[in-house]
Amino acid sequence: MPIEHRGSSDEAKLIARSLAQDPDAFGQLVERYATVIVNLAYRMVGDRTEAEDLAQETFVAAFKSLPAFRAESKFSTWLYRIAANKCKDWLRAKRPGQAVHDVDGEDVLDDRVVEERTPERLLSQQQVAEQLGGAIQRLPPLYREAFVLKHVEGLSYEEMQEILGVKTDTLKMRVYKGRLQLSRELAELKEV
Amino acid sequence: MDERDILIQRFLDDDLTPKERAAFLQAVDADPLLRRRWLNLELVVAETAQLPRLAPSSRFVAQVLTQLAPAPISPWARLRAALTVPRTLEWNLAGAMAMVCVAVVAVVGLLRLAPDRIVEVPVPVAGSQAQTASLAPGQGAKVFVRFMLLQPGARSVSVAGDFNGWDPGQTKLEQSEGGVWTAMIALKPGRYQYMFVIDGKQWIPDPLAIDGAGDGFGAQNAVLDVAI
Repeated sequence: MPIEHRGSSDEAKLIARSLAQDPDAFGQLVERYATVIVNLAYRMVGDRTEAEDLAQETFVAAFKSLPAFRAESKFSTWLYRIAANKCKDWLRAKRPGQAVHDVDGEDVLDDRVVEERTPERLLSQQQVAEQLGGAIQRLPPLYREAFVLKHVEGLSYEEMQEILGVKTDTLKMRVYKGRLQLSRELAELKEV
Repeated sequence: MDERDILIQRFLDDDLTPKERAAFLQAVDADPLLRRRWLNLELVVAETAQLPRLAPSSRFVAQVLTQLAPAPISPWARLRAALTVPRTLEWNLAGAMAMVCVAVVAVVGLLRLAPDRIVEVPVPVAGSQAQTASLAPGQGAKVFVRFMLLQPGARSVSVAGDFNGWDPGQTKLEQSEGGVWTAMIALKPGRYQYMFVIDGKQWIPDPLAIDGAGDGFGAQNAVLDVAI
């Protein structure tokens, strides 16, 4: 679900006051975007405590680099960018030797035709949510990042391009492949 | 991914033209395999949209702001800041009038007390007319006396007399422009004899003294009468 762009002038005032070292103003910005950033981090790293830590680091980094924020771009876009980089750095550190490399040239998905399988039984909504959450964690980081921004955060491909600095065609392919992998995993889980 | 997969993905992204969309839906209706592929992917998108949203912890904002708090400042910096920070004084009329009354009483009190502490006393100058000076009455009613001698060639000039035990080392005069030597000392009222000592060895009487007296050695001492 996309972030509501609540009154750009209101947000501009909060940013201006934050630049003037007004902690109350920046506190309001944190409160406004905390849920979004925490959820992005959670879907990226899969751990609630780590997600909150990464989200806090995101806001601290945002505050310190606030003088570099360009008013013509959206504050949320800028926050997303910082958060995405923090999450990738965390993933990189947790899995040394396994770089968050570009998987776009690879075909990491199984070509099995799973659409022929039909569900034997229905899973409960909670079970589906848990299984889907786990499956998202098993996506390659770049697919995961694109899928989460697109379908968890509800961003457009243009917004994602601005955040990640990646062309929309490449982002679309990453999302497509993420969907495919997830649909196959869900289909397999329903078979169990 | 084959062409049909790409078509499904574009449908999910709402990226098809109306014509393409209509063609896709017809194809889905006619092809069970395509329909299954599409529904599986639609399910992923739909289930993802229903994933529960985490709420940040109640202390999240406070913890972020704590990390942004400025570093603690040293006690000296804090003291300097406390002393130099501009402050706003709040006052009311009653308080201001009370302060004015206190100030008036203090000033009046000082004016009433202060003149009693000052005594106007004429100061006779040896060899010249007396000049008025002020001194505190607690000093035994002494009078300031200025000794003056014109001696341009001297390296040092001092005055020796009854008042300092005839010791030329006690009362030295200071030289000013034009070879004028002066010194100011406080003397109790009375009659004093004295002489100037040039360069520590030449004793001469005050050439400007009004009165004189023999010194018993064939020379003339200057005489000074000091009175209040």
